[in-house]
Amino acid sequence: MFSRRSFLSLPVLGAVISSPLGSLAAGRSAAGRLRFAWPLNVGPLNPHLYSPNQMFAQNMVYEPLVRYREDGQVVPWLAASWSISEDGRTYTFELREGVMFSNGEPFDAAAAKANIDAVLANRERHAWLELANQIVGAEVVAPMTLKLSLKDPYYPALQELALPRPFRFIAPSQFVHGGTKDGIVAPVGTGPWMLTESSLGERDLFSRNDRYWGDAPAYAEVEVQVIPDPNTRAIALRTGQIDMVYGVEGPLSPDSYAEFAALGDFTTGLSAPMETSDLALNTARGATRDLSVRRAINHAVDKGAMIALILHGTERRADTLFAPNVPYADIGLEPYAHNPEQARKILEEDGWTVTGEGQPRTKDGAPLILDLCFVGTDAVAKAKAEILQADLASVGIGINLIGEEESSIYARQRDGRFHLIFNRTWGAPYDPHAFLSSMRVPSHADYQAQLGLADKAEIDRKIGEVLISTDETQRADLYRDLLTRFHEEAVYLPLTYATAMAVARPEVGRLVFGAMSSEIPFEKLTPDT
Amino acid sequence: MTAYILRRLLLIVPMLFGASLVIFLMLRLGPSDPALDYLRLSKVPPTPQALEEARRFLGLDLPLSTQYLNWIGRALAGDFGTSYALQRPVLPDILHFLPATLALAGTALAFTMIISVPLGIWAARYRDRWPDHAVRLIAFLGVSMPNFWLGFLLVMVFSVHLGWLPPMGRDGPPSLVMPVIAVAFMSLAINARLLRASMLEVAGQRHVRYARLRGLSDRVVERRHILRNAWLPIITAMGMHVGELLGGTLVIETIFGWPGVGRYAVSAILNRDYPVIQCFTLLMVVIFVLCNLLVDIVYALADPRIRRSTGDTA
Repeated sequence: MFSRRSFLSLPVLGAVISSPLGSLAAGRSAAGRLRFAWPLNVGPLNPHLYSPNQMFAQNMVYEPLVRYREDGQVVPWLAASWSISEDGRTYTFELREGVMFSNGEPFDAAAAKANIDAVLANRERHAWLELANQIVGAEVVAPMTLKLSLKDPYYPALQELALPRPFRFIAPSQFVHGGTKDGIVAPVGTGPWMLTESSLGERDLFSRNDRYWGDAPAYAEVEVQVIPDPNTRAIALRTGQIDMVYGVEGPLSPDSYAEFAALGDFTTGLSAPMETSDLALNTARGATRDLSVRRAINHAVDKGAMIALILHGTERRADTLFAPNVPYADIGLEPYAHNPEQARKILEEDGWTVTGEGQPRTKDGAPLILDLCFVGTDAVAKAKAEILQADLASVGIGINLIGEEESSIYARQRDGRFHLIFNRTWGAPYDPHAFLSSMRVPSHADYQAQLGLADKAEIDRKIGEVLISTDETQRADLYRDLLTRFHEEAVYLPLTYATAMAVARPEVGRLVFGAMSSEIPFEKLTPDT
Repeated sequence: MTAYILRRLLLIVPMLFGASLVIFLMLRLGPSDPALDYLRLSKVPPTPQALEEARRFLGLDLPLSTQYLNWIGRALAGDFGTSYALQRPVLPDILHFLPATLALAGTALAFTMIISVPLGIWAARYRDRWPDHAVRLIAFLGVSMPNFWLGFLLVMVFSVHLGWLPPMGRDGPPSLVMPVIAVAFMSLAINARLLRASMLEVAGQRHVRYARLRGLSDRVVERRHILRNAWLPIITAMGMHVGELLGGTLVIETIFGWPGVGRYAVSAILNRDYPVIQCFTLLMVVIFVLCNLLVDIVYALADPRIRRSTGDTA
C-alpha cells in the first residue's frame, strides 16, 4: 500500500556488516532495556490522530476492545465478551473488570464512551475508515457495559475496532477541550507500556506499566532511538548501539538482512505474509483488454528470480491476490505456473504473432507494447520493473517503463492511464474486506483495472453485499466468487507477499511477530539470559 | 565601511522576500502532492475522501496566493508554520536542531583550517617533491570521494573493525570525530591546493625576490611576504566552504544519526514537508548572505586596497 524509500544504499554496507566487530564502549544495553531503532520520534501519542503519532507506539500504550490474531480471528481484549444483535446493527461489549489506566483511573464504560465520542467528534478525519462512518453512537448500558449502534450490519466492525487507531482508549482526564482532536495532556493508556521520556530527534523511552492488567512485559524499558537511514540502523545493530530492528517497510535493505542472516551472530526472522505486492492489469485499455495477454503475463514472469535477486529472500512468492492466511482467501485457486513456453502458446493461439527476433508481437498490425507504471523514486519497484520487462520481452511483450512522481502515478491510477501498474493490498486487518471495498471507488487502480470486465457492475454489487452480509456461509461464498473471478480473469499479477522482518542480537531471545504490520509485540519478547 | 555594512544588511530584507517567493513557487510547480505524503506517513489509504480531508487539514486547498500571503504574513511575526509530517511549529524545531549542526559545521571549519593550512604551506615549500605529491594525492581523493562514501569507510574502520569510535549519535567529542572528517575532507583538500597555488604565485612576484635579495631568511620571507599575500584567496574560499560544509551536513547527519537541522531537512524533503523546506531554505539564504558579507569585511580588513575602494563606494 505504501511505497518504500531508502535514502542511501551502498555496496560498502555489506562489507561493514560482515566485518569483524571491535569493542565499543557504548556497546551493550542496560539490564532490562531493549534498544530499538525507528526513523523518527513516536510523536505525542494521541490515540485518535495520525502522523506524527507512530502506530507501533500507539499500540504499545493504548489497547483495543478486541484484538486481531495472526489466524485472522478477533478475540476479546478490553472487552471480555460481546454480543451482536440479530440485525447486525448493535454491538454490546462487556468490559474487562479490573483494568486501569496507567495513572490509576479506572477503565469503564463511561471512559470507553468518552473515547468513542472523541473519535466521532472528529469524524471527517476518520472518514476513510468505514467503521467511523457506520457508528451512530456509543451508549453506557451499565458501568461495565458499552453499546455501539451502527447504521448498517457492517460485518468488519470488529476487525476495524482492532486497528491501532482510532478506536483506542486514553484516560478521559487527559482530554483537551473535552476531546482529543485538539491534542492530549499526556499519553495515558491501559497498555503494557508508558511513554516516560522523549528527546526530539534522538530517542523515546517507554517503561513498563506496573498497573497493567495482563502479563507484565519481561523487559523493564524499551528505548527507541531515532535513526532515519536503514544503512545506519544496520551499522548501529552490528556495533551494538541497538538490540533489534523490526518492520515491514524496509527497516533494513534486503541485502543487509541477507548479510545478517549469513553472519549467524544475529537472530533473524520473517513473519507470515502481511500484504501482497502485485501488478494491476488494465482490462479496459489497449492490449491488456485481451484475456490471453493477461494470462500470458501471469505465466511469463519469474517471481523466484525477483525474490532471489532483488529481495534476497525477504518476501515470499505470491500466486494469488491474497495470501492463504487472509480470512476467506484460502480457496485453493490454481496458481499460474512460471512457464514462458505456455505464455508464448497462449499469445500465438490468440493471434499475437512474432514479427522478428527481439521484436514485440503484433495482432492486426498493432504491436504488443504495454506501459508499466511505478513510482520513480522507489528503487525496489524500479528493479522489479526491469526484471518484468526482461521476462515479458522473452515472450514477445514489449514494456515501456514509466517511472514518475508518486502523485503522477496516483493520477494514472485515478483515470486508468496504465496497462500495468504496481499495487499493494492493505494488509491485516483490512484484507480482504476494506481492500475489496476500495475496488468500487473509481480513483483506485483496482476499479480502473476491472472496468473492462463485462460484469464489473455485478462485481461491485457483490462487494457491497459481502460487507453487510450477516450470514457466514453466504459471506464466504461471495468472497470465493469474487476472488475466483479476479484470478480467472487474470486482473492481477501477484508478485510477492511482503513480510515483517526482524533482526536482533541473540540476547533478545526468540523473535515474535505481530498480527498486523503496525504492531511490534515488545511485551512478548523475553531476554535470553 | 560601516555604511557599506549597513547597506548590505538592509539588502537582505528584499532578498529574503524574493527568495521566499521563489522557494514557495518552485516547491509547488512540480506534480508533487504533500497530502499524499501525509497519508503515506499516517498509513491511511489515499482515498479521494482522505486526500480531500488531508488537503483541507494542511491548508493546501486554498488558492496559491492565499497560501503564500498567509505563510509570509505569519513568518513576519516569527511563525513559519507547522510541519506537515511532525505537526509541530517549524521554527522552534529548527532552532532546536541548529546548535548540533553549527557544532558539526563549526568544528569541521576549524578542522579544515587547522589541517589545510600546514598542508598547503608544506606542499608549496617542497614543490614537486614527495610532500607536494602527498598533498596532491590527498586533494585528489578529497575532491573525488563522495562524503557519504568516506563516512561509511570511516565507520567500517574505526567503529566496526577497531571499535574506537561510536558509529552514530551525538554523545560527546568522540562522536564528532568521524562526521567532522567526512564532512570536512573535501574543503580541506581544496583549501590545501588553493593555498599551495596561491603561495607559489606570490613566491614568483618581485617583492618576494627583493626580500630574498635583502638577505631575509626563507622562513621570514615565507611568513611575512608570501603567506600574508597568499591569504586572500583562502578567505574567499572559506566563505564557500561554509556553504559546502552546511550542505555536507545534510547527508552526513543522516548517515551518522546526528540530530541536526540537516537530517531534519532531508526528512522534510523526502516527505515534501513544505513549511520545513521553506523555513530551512530561508535560513540557509540568511546564513550564506551573512557569510559572504563577513568574507567581504575580512577581505577588506586584510587588504588595504579593497578597504580603500570600499570606503570610496561607501
